[in-house]
Amino acid sequence: MTAGQTDTARPAVARRPFAGRRLLRRATPYLFALPLLLFIAVFTYIPIASSLNLSLREWNFLRPDKPFVGLENYRTLLSQREVWNALRVTVIFAVISVPLRLGLALMIASYLVRETLPSRLLRGALFLPSVTSTVSIAVIFSWVFATDGGLMNAALTSLGGPKVPWMQDPMLALCVLIAVNTWKQLGYDVIIYIAGLQAVPPELYDAAAVDGGRRWHVFRRVTVPLVMPTTYFLLVIAVIEAFQVFTIVDVMTRGGPAGATDMLVNMLYRVGFTLFDIGQGSALAVLLFLLLIGLALVKSRILGRRVHYEA
Amino acid sequence: MKRDPLLLTGLALGAGLLFLAPVIYSIWLSFQTANAYYTGTLAFTLDNYGHAIGQYNFARYLVNSVIVSGLVTLIGISLATMAAFAFARWRFWGGDFLFGAVVATLMIPSHITLIPNYLTLAKVGLLDTYAGLVLPAISSGFAAFFLRQYIRGIPRALDEAAYMDGATPLQVLLRVIVPVARPAILSMGLYIFISEWNSYIWPLVAVGRQDMYTLQIGLARLYRINPGEGMIDWPLVMAASTLTLLPVLLGFFLVERHLIRGITMGAVK
Repeated sequence: MTAGQTDTARPAVARRPFAGRRLLRRATPYLFALPLLLFIAVFTYIPIASSLNLSLREWNFLRPDKPFVGLENYRTLLSQREVWNALRVTVIFAVISVPLRLGLALMIASYLVRETLPSRLLRGALFLPSVTSTVSIAVIFSWVFATDGGLMNAALTSLGGPKVPWMQDPMLALCVLIAVNTWKQLGYDVIIYIAGLQAVPPELYDAAAVDGGRRWHVFRRVTVPLVMPTTYFLLVIAVIEAFQVFTIVDVMTRGGPAGATDMLVNMLYRVGFTLFDIGQGSALAVLLFLLLIGLALVKSRILGRRVHYEA
Repeated sequence: MKRDPLLLTGLALGAGLLFLAPVIYSIWLSFQTANAYYTGTLAFTLDNYGHAIGQYNFARYLVNSVIVSGLVTLIGISLATMAAFAFARWRFWGGDFLFGAVVATLMIPSHITLIPNYLTLAKVGLLDTYAGLVLPAISSGFAAFFLRQYIRGIPRALDEAAYMDGATPLQVLLRVIVPVARPAILSMGLYIFISEWNSYIWPLVAVGRQDMYTLQIGLARLYRINPGEGMIDWPLVMAASTLTLLPVLLGFFLVERHLIRGITMGAVK
């Protein structure tokens, strides 16, 4: 087949120019794509428009007639301390957990990059949590960090340490959530980094080693720049995930103690489905949506020029 | 710098087990009696599983999870494969735009669809039904994107030969593309199944009736209602947790390589 041939030309059918057949032939790709597109339209794109619309209306138990109120919901939301608290907590969560995930993952991946049995075993173990039920993991770690009868405190007290109220202390509870989230997602990052590292030509390492590069130096000057595209991919994913974290928080702390771990999506769930304030819940969803799109744009601005696509 | 491979393997195994210790220990705990757990003695039993399955209805949740994840996977992978075929093999008016719309769903935070989808399903009376759990979860932009890349790598000569023999596009898809793309379709199917099995927020929103709970919802509720007087009955909770994570864990061991290949192929390109 020649490279210049267009995708539409299909000789076998082209020789029969009946109108019906031609129409069918033209419609073929649409027919194949239609079912998926229909589902995406109904359950993703129309809801986005609908969220925008709902966010401009007052719709709750008091006002079932859903009158148009303009930006009132946004004004109310942005004047609530609860929202700013959730935003602050989510940003702290993201700012700590994203670099933690990526940094640890890249270091581990550079050790596990070779295809040997030990490295395969460790990769498997690291990857396992990322396919394991998040609710199960949250429940298991609730037990690990339980003040009474928990694994962590049992270990601490047996070493003569104090009983730590992990989930009751605002700071510690957030740290625990970050740790659990990192534990769960780390293996995915490691696997992706390994794939990225394996795409780096080994001669580059050899060259750096010949130049007398020490391990850290090679890591810093060769590995890190060369896996920049992978880092960029993982950064996008990790940030999106961090801003949407919900399950572990809902199961482990429900935003507590005293709002110290209350994330944006937890608040969204509470406003929309516990308080049934559809208008404000939708406004919050739209704000989260805009925030993530804004972040994506900023990231591609800042990082776009620093990505080394070629070795 | 040669090191003993056996020693290294042992070290790796040890580190891996240590990393997974909470999960392994929780499974161990699920076989102990609550009494033994709180008094620090050892007594093994299967009662926790009996209670979880019988009294706490986890048999039903398991069936629900299997049905919902199974349906989402079968329908989802079919739609994704069909769309991928269209986007990979034809250039048609609006095709690039439509493919862009599919790929963009990867970046769209799913929570913006939560309230509208809930309202839609409430309006048509599909809350608390399998359809309500399945329908919003079906479209997988990732699978469509990934399979399209894969199908583009399949030589077009194979299609042409089949068309010469008088095959219709549907026949080409089923007899040529699907068999060749089987590994990719399998790993994407697996990816969809695992994501759906573990999905939490949508079932939480779409289901209120207890007999429609999936395992994830059932486990979260069981943990929250704290059976056992005053203290949490951890062995019971861990039995329920093991029931929730084990099917995927077993599947993972069977197909780890497929899954990892699927995930990395999507990322590093």
